[in-house]
Amino acid sequence: MDDEKLKQILQSRTAQPDENARKEAINLALAEYDATATQRNKITPNIFQGSPFWARLTGRSNKQRREPMNKKLVYGGMATAMVVVMASAVSMQTMPRLGDSTATQEIAGEAVPELNVADAAKPPAAAPADEEALERWRRVQADSRASKSDLEIFQGLTRNLSKEGSVESLAESSAPSTARTEAKRMMAPPASMAGAAPAEMAVIMPHPPLDDVSPYYQDEGRDKFEDVKVNAVKQVSAEPVSTFSIDTDTASYSVARRMINNGALPPADAVRVEEMVNYFDYDYALPEDKAHPFKPVVTVMDSPWGNGRKLMHVAIKGYDIEQSVQPRSNLVFLIDVSGSMNSPDKLPLLKSSMKMLLGTLKADDTVAIVTYAGNAGTVIEPTKVSERAKIEAAIDNLTPGGGTAGAAGIEQAYKLAETSFDKDGVNRVILATDGDFNIGASSPDALKDMIENKRKSGVFLSVLGFGLGNLNDHMMQTLAQNGNGTAAYIDTLNEARKVLVDEASSTLFPIAKDVKIQVEFNPATVAEYRLIGYETRALAREDFNNDAIDAGEVGAGHAVTAIYEITPVGGPVLVDASRYAAKPEATKIEDASNFGDEYAFLKLRYKLPNEDVSKLMTTPVTKANETASPSTDVEWAVAVAGYAQLLKGGQYMAGFGYDDILTLAQEAKGADADGYRAEFINLVKLTQTLAK
Amino acid sequence: MQHVDDIALARDACAGSRRAFETLVTRHYDRMFRFACQWCGDRTSAQDIVQEAAIKLARVICSFDGRAAFTSWLYRLVINCGIDWQRGQKRHAGSGGDAEALGVAAEGSAEDALHARQVLAQVDSLPAAQRTALLLVFGQGLSHAEAAQAMEVKESTVSWYIHEARKALGVKDGREAAHG
Repeated sequence: MDDEKLKQILQSRTAQPDENARKEAINLALAEYDATATQRNKITPNIFQGSPFWARLTGRSNKQRREPMNKKLVYGGMATAMVVVMASAVSMQTMPRLGDSTATQEIAGEAVPELNVADAAKPPAAAPADEEALERWRRVQADSRASKSDLEIFQGLTRNLSKEGSVESLAESSAPSTARTEAKRMMAPPASMAGAAPAEMAVIMPHPPLDDVSPYYQDEGRDKFEDVKVNAVKQVSAEPVSTFSIDTDTASYSVARRMINNGALPPADAVRVEEMVNYFDYDYALPEDKAHPFKPVVTVMDSPWGNGRKLMHVAIKGYDIEQSVQPRSNLVFLIDVSGSMNSPDKLPLLKSSMKMLLGTLKADDTVAIVTYAGNAGTVIEPTKVSERAKIEAAIDNLTPGGGTAGAAGIEQAYKLAETSFDKDGVNRVILATDGDFNIGASSPDALKDMIENKRKSGVFLSVLGFGLGNLNDHMMQTLAQNGNGTAAYIDTLNEARKVLVDEASSTLFPIAKDVKIQVEFNPATVAEYRLIGYETRALAREDFNNDAIDAGEVGAGHAVTAIYEITPVGGPVLVDASRYAAKPEATKIEDASNFGDEYAFLKLRYKLPNEDVSKLMTTPVTKANETASPSTDVEWAVAVAGYAQLLKGGQYMAGFGYDDILTLAQEAKGADADGYRAEFINLVKLTQTLAK
Repeated sequence: MQHVDDIALARDACAGSRRAFETLVTRHYDRMFRFACQWCGDRTSAQDIVQEAAIKLARVICSFDGRAAFTSWLYRLVINCGIDWQRGQKRHAGSGGDAEALGVAAEGSAEDALHARQVLAQVDSLPAAQRTALLLVFGQGLSHAEAAQAMEVKESTVSWYIHEARKALGVKDGREAAHG
């Protein structure tokens, strides 16, 4: 049998439509159209406001249909499997699934969880047999769709993520009890990550049936990450100076963690080494006095993966502000309530997160909420936190629906922040979104211009990312980088607690902005260098002294790490020396050797939060910075950096594998009071299984 | 372009144009009916499914946002109604004896007919996702991309379903035209 024959047979199973039946159907549809006219117009006046509200508002017929389904759950192979596919599939747009979704959820949840693996999650999934099949198929496809196919498969792999919720344990969550209840409702049961086989991880955690659910928006495979080239090895003789902006975002780590916990390796573009390293807290040395917000500490050590190379570890730790002297906060939440936020790991998680943050604010602080969907609207004007009930009521009333006019929302949020602007306080817009801006100025460039303008008002910006499948990482980064802000990705209530409660002071209170680092290497001692990570933060050499050029901010208590891999002169160089430029170099090096044992000279510029003129700090990096036994914090950062590089393809890792990372991380784990480092170790183990 | 036209009609229908809505339903009824026939294998049920889909369409027309092709979106609606129907079948198992079984064009030899019946039985026993992909691509002539929209999966997933279905049915992999 061939394709043609099969087509013919399939198409033979059909009939001419019966004219009466046709008429009847059309008439019934028209009757329904008339009957629902009022609802239709009230709810979604605009066709682009795809609205899952329908499920709640369709009234009589829908309700009637739903009930028998709820009562009797008898499902057999085909129907069930199909339902599961539909349930877990990605919505390209809001689906007309209506009331059935309740039943659908139940089926997925109760009747046949195993089918999720067997059928629905097939290409992504991970039952061993399936994996084999997928592997075979991949090979078949490989010739025709070479590099593209893997990304597509990956995108397929991520499609069940939003459904699955979280696999993290909530046990240690210190969230208030209401938030916790909500979390339990929202999130899947905890699963042990340690040594879990991918097959286990890919089993879709069933949702408990939810009352009053609308069909949750589920998305897949449309996460957008900026294309980034890994920093290359630079020859000191050709390019002695390296300049970059610091980056205190942490989004990349939580995004990758979530993907891995769901059984998929993150695409290389989703991995930003510096964000993974900076996800963790480090006890780096604090400045001796408050004249400077921090001081850079440099450690030089042997590179664990580069034979004969060394790592130059630059650490910055900002001082922390004591609770009592924290400045007043003027916060404007800008909440994405578009249809795509209608998923347990998005809006409901965001609501719980906001309430947690409220608990950390002082009575005097103000909070305002602006939403944006089809239209931007102010939900609550700047309100003192002492009126907490009022704010919480406003939070509870947030409901998803509509397209995403992000730009208009940003405009309005900044306007509000400016009306209640507090010169001595911290004024901040907190944007919570899954990153989908599909109405208005929506290209990263157009938004960048807009945000750059807004930055001059003195209002800071934080971007909180939610959900996977539709996450526009590139957009989040653009916004945060250009708006004096940071981006964090929140996948669980636990992560919300880390970002908004534990690190509230660093999230909310900047102690320095436009922090730039410039390192000049000494050609007499260093032959080559490579900045590990910070690809998206590179600055031109002349930007360093130009105060108009924006760079990253450091919050109170923030730890920032940057790591260079350097090849000392005489070490294993990757770039051959230039044959013709050899002569002038020699004299230069002669001069440079006057600086004795200096490896490099580090310069750091920053502005205080309310100032426009930068300050300069400098420190030479010499043999004195070198140590054979670096602190566990430094080793930890190196282990994370190594891991992140492996995730990015590991082209400079020279055979250093996940095993070695594990050994390194286990030695450097330290006290690990919050358990984040233990979690990382489990993540490495899981990655190791997935990467095999 | 019909596609653009459909989008405009859907927008008008959402905005309250009864005529636009009627045009849409009338225009797509036959296509949906043929798909429902292939999906469930009997005429009466297909009529029920499409009728249900048409009624549903009246309620959800505003949630069509033009990101997928209207027809793909509509297929999805029919698939959902098909699933409901199947669920109902399971519930009243045995009561559907009067179904008017379809299939297998009359012409051709008895052997051909037998073969066709066997193939259809095999198709019906495929995993649901593969079966749906097969019906959309081979039965309805959708491209993998369109089928992917209708099934809410990635295009590569549809390709994979088709590949698996072909394998299960013993169809030679003749690099199907709609591919890519």
